[in-house]
Amino acid sequence: MQQYDVKSIIQTSPVAHAQPRESAKWEVVNGMNTAVEFASATIENARKKVLGVADVSCLARYGVKGPNATQWLLERGIAIPTTPNSWTICEQKTLVLRLGSSEFLIEDQLGGSACSRLASDTTRVASVFKVPRADAAFIVSGSEALNLLSELCSLDLREKSLAAKDLIMTQVAGISATLIRQTLNGEPVYRIWCDGTYGPYMWEVLIEIATELGGGAVGLAQYQSS
Amino acid sequence: MMFRTPKQVGEWVNRTKKINFTFEGEEFSAFEGDTISSALWAAGQKVLGRSFKYHRARGVLSLANHDVNVLVTDGIDTNIRADVVEVKNGMVLTAVNTSGGVKKDKNSYIDSISPLLPVGFYYKAFHTPRRLFPFWENVIRKAAGLGVVNFDYPRILKRKTHSHCDVLVIGAGPTGLTAACTAAEAGLEVTIVDENLQLGGSLGYNRAGDTSVMSRLDNLISKVISLPNIKVMSGSYAAGYYPDHLIPIVSEAGINKVRAKSVIVASGAFEQPPVFRYNDLPGVMLGSAAQRLLYRYAVKPFNNGIVVTANDYGYRVALDLLQAGTKIVALVDMRQTGSIVYAAALAKRGIKVYIGHCVYEAIASSDKSGVRGAVICPYDEKQSVALTDKQFTLECDGIAMSAGWAPAGALLYQAGTGMQFDYGVEQFVPSRLPNGMFAAGKVNGIFELEQRLRDGVRAANDAIRHLGGQAPQNDVEKHVGISPSHAYPMVPHPKGKNFVDFDEDIQIKDFVNAAKEGFDNIELMKRFTTVGMGPSQGKHSNMNAIRILAKIRGLPVEKIGTTTSRPFFHPTPIGHLGGRGFHSHRLTSLHDWHQANDAVFTDIGAWKRAAYYPAAGQSKEDAIQTEAFAVRKTAGIIDGSSFGKIEIHGPDAALFLERFFTGVYTDQKVGSCRYVMLLDETGVVIDDGIASRLADDLFYLSIGTSNAAAVYREMQRSQQMWQLNIGLVNVTGAFGAINIAGPAAREILSTLTDLDLSYGSFPMSSVRESQVAGVETRMIRVAFVADNGYELHAPMGQIPHLWNALIEAGKKHALCPFGSDTQRLLRLEMGHAMPGVDTDGLTNPFEIGADWAIKMDKPYFIGQRSLTILAKRPLRKQLVPFVLAENYKGEMPMDCNLVVDGRDILGRVTSISYSKYLDRCIGFAYVTPARKEVGSVFQIRADSGSLVAATVVKSPFIKTLKGA
Repeated sequence: MQQYDVKSIIQTSPVAHAQPRESAKWEVVNGMNTAVEFASATIENARKKVLGVADVSCLARYGVKGPNATQWLLERGIAIPTTPNSWTICEQKTLVLRLGSSEFLIEDQLGGSACSRLASDTTRVASVFKVPRADAAFIVSGSEALNLLSELCSLDLREKSLAAKDLIMTQVAGISATLIRQTLNGEPVYRIWCDGTYGPYMWEVLIEIATELGGGAVGLAQYQSS
Repeated sequence: MMFRTPKQVGEWVNRTKKINFTFEGEEFSAFEGDTISSALWAAGQKVLGRSFKYHRARGVLSLANHDVNVLVTDGIDTNIRADVVEVKNGMVLTAVNTSGGVKKDKNSYIDSISPLLPVGFYYKAFHTPRRLFPFWENVIRKAAGLGVVNFDYPRILKRKTHSHCDVLVIGAGPTGLTAACTAAEAGLEVTIVDENLQLGGSLGYNRAGDTSVMSRLDNLISKVISLPNIKVMSGSYAAGYYPDHLIPIVSEAGINKVRAKSVIVASGAFEQPPVFRYNDLPGVMLGSAAQRLLYRYAVKPFNNGIVVTANDYGYRVALDLLQAGTKIVALVDMRQTGSIVYAAALAKRGIKVYIGHCVYEAIASSDKSGVRGAVICPYDEKQSVALTDKQFTLECDGIAMSAGWAPAGALLYQAGTGMQFDYGVEQFVPSRLPNGMFAAGKVNGIFELEQRLRDGVRAANDAIRHLGGQAPQNDVEKHVGISPSHAYPMVPHPKGKNFVDFDEDIQIKDFVNAAKEGFDNIELMKRFTTVGMGPSQGKHSNMNAIRILAKIRGLPVEKIGTTTSRPFFHPTPIGHLGGRGFHSHRLTSLHDWHQANDAVFTDIGAWKRAAYYPAAGQSKEDAIQTEAFAVRKTAGIIDGSSFGKIEIHGPDAALFLERFFTGVYTDQKVGSCRYVMLLDETGVVIDDGIASRLADDLFYLSIGTSNAAAVYREMQRSQQMWQLNIGLVNVTGAFGAINIAGPAAREILSTLTDLDLSYGSFPMSSVRESQVAGVETRMIRVAFVADNGYELHAPMGQIPHLWNALIEAGKKHALCPFGSDTQRLLRLEMGHAMPGVDTDGLTNPFEIGADWAIKMDKPYFIGQRSLTILAKRPLRKQLVPFVLAENYKGEMPMDCNLVVDGRDILGRVTSISYSKYLDRCIGFAYVTPARKEVGSVFQIRADSGSLVAATVVKSPFIKTLKGA
């Protein structure tokens, strides 16, 4: 029987199908083939300021739910947002999204390690259920971000309505998505997560509108260097 | 520009920018800011359109999109509303609904035979003899409609966006502007919307000859602009009301759906025409239309006109006309009282006023393109008749007419506002407003300017308090004095042509005839006469229609009521409603592989699935048969990642499944799989699948593609009710799945895993967790498409690796990828009925022979109670497997073809296909229970009508026909 090393399996971003194979620069990040550059840094910087869309699906994620999920996470040093539908930062490199009273999505930002630590704990615990994640994830930045989102989401996503630590689970472009507003490297951005199988569709929609509004695709490198 | 006046204060045209365009082949010039109609009128062009039914010449009526006298096409777009659409340089325009041009429309002869074409004539005239109906249908269809649809119309994106505010003010007249300022000054976030391109509403043109009101308008607008928390949306209309104050605002650019915390409706009122013979001639227009022409576009409506009025407003119109240099032949006041306020002002200008008179008939010019005079009669206001024995004629070239108003209350009605008829103003006014809705100004029955301004403040204060702020409660007194609307401004005429609805050429006699026919309820009358059903949706006609019906029935107006108001306020282009057109879809992680291997895709639920993989030049049928044959002879592999996949965790997991599905799961052994079937409460089959027990407290459920999301939602709903100790995790998107099946499947798989795949260790209907090609995989032994089949479930991102490893390992066995269309043939050969394909929204499990899957002796499962009842009833249909004759070469029946016995329908085919492997046409069909026995023969009526004999057999077909 042929032997395989599971660590050598390179995955591909769930969004990749909708991204240009030839013109983009691809790199393996967190074991996932990811578009890190779509255009020159100057162009992508300009897009970011107006309306940049970046695919950050490669960030490591860990999902858990169940009545004892909060306690389980606390025991493993994960900071818990105090209320459902809110988020916080843990260990400076990890986003902790509280999706409901007892459901969580943990996402390591580049350099974070909480998810791999949690995943290594395979012991089944009563009332703690692991939720396998295969999200497509996006960062939407720039002055026209709200304009774009106004076409995709019926909720009020302005700062006055969507507080700094609020999280909403809603429909974006007609599909279920999770959304927060965040300040990233001094810039206000929106973070969007959806089921990975919808990733290409979501990317196409975001890029179509972003391009109309003077923005476009931004590679992961824009966020790796910062 | 023979009718252009000297510059008017506040005019909307930019005289420094000249525009050239053509209309009906003639060249015209205009100023920037002109509408198409104003530009044409300024040039003396009075016949601007033809009426829908009788093809009568028409000109300006409201100049406000309250009528559709003037619809034009630019060759690409059609039904352009010329009264309100700005003319652009280079436009090439023609009127719609003409044959041979607007001036010499060949269809204008219809007007002369109009007595033969009363309302409802086509309901009665053409249905007998039946053989002639197709002829008449063709004639009527050609005559119906206005502009011609351009099927080459380019796709122009109209964005649909969302926005939010504290207060949405609808209408930017003086009332709305005041309300907006008051609310904004209280710190609220305000959006104000108006369909006109500039703010101000009637304050900009209703001047009674006194232009000093313009400074008040300027002040109001300056204030609005100075307040940063007011967002102005001009050139946009509030198109409808939806729950929780969701108002779509339509503009040229698209639709903005505004979600407001409160809404102030200050939408004003539509002017209603008095009804007299030939009130539709070009040159006869509403008083407010004359004012708009004058002050917005600096165009005189006529040179030497008559004003006919049934309220004081006509006097104000006359003063405006005089101010602009138009001669007034006379003012004809239908009321016995005349105007106390304005009579002196007109007398001072030497204008003759005929009190208690009416225009009995407008006199058409010789070519019927305009007005050359009017027949004036004393008017008996009580009897609503003209006293013709004292008639006389006045020469004129135009008539301005005012009779009253109808509230622009569409959104109020749609929001559920209670309306009552106020005789003080002769109009319906709000009596009970929904929470958070406020009405102000004319729509609220308040007409005098100072009162309207106070009413705007009052409404804003109400909204402020509604939103939790502090604001005084200041009621505004009701209208006092003479009513702004006349109770019955109709002038009967024995020869008719006194139009109520200009869209549909509906006259007074049409209402009388409708009532005689028994259509004397407002909703029935609307449908019989079609009043209010044209493109202007009754804006200029509904109120008069209600008054006429009230008169016919001898009832007060409030007893007649109004018709139902529905969105949208104006007809809205389909492109606006369509917007960008989002078509969400899901792709599996193998989508690129399928694409690279020339798959043809099909939509199943939200998913794009590979249906089959045709070789170059291969037909769909051949590709499917080739793939299916490979599965039978060697092995095939299919991407099943779209299957629904749900984990049920917790100590009550088995109990949950027992309540949710029809089977038993509490005694299911770890490592085994069982069939699950889901019913709804009525006992209808919804879905089926496989439950694999991975641990005492963990089941892994795989279900069909199409229903997965709905099944998960139903599980969540059930858990909310049952509160069992479980957790549900939907892993449909997180896990992919591959099915490898066929005689060589086990051998191929064995090269990639250490797991003992012998049938003894890993029997049918069992589940194992093991590594396959290094990937942690849940392996399920299933026999859906073949007896030797394995479903491999693994993280979606690792599925491509697993797939490629299998493809590589299967090369020496000629492993063949197959798609979902092939899968349907394979499962048919295996004799598996599929929910949603072989069942419909009424099928119960007894009808598909699934009794074996139901454990009725359980305490409870969804649909159990209904099945108990159904079990006592005789079956009405039964799904049976059938074959066509050996070597059948005739017309192939299709899915959904009927099973018939003479003229009786016994059932229908649900699945049918030729199987190359079995060399037979096989299928499933519903038949009556009498025909369900093996060997029974029934007839299928194919698409052409030919009958095809089918014989009931045992399934699985593969065993019956091949002995496999």
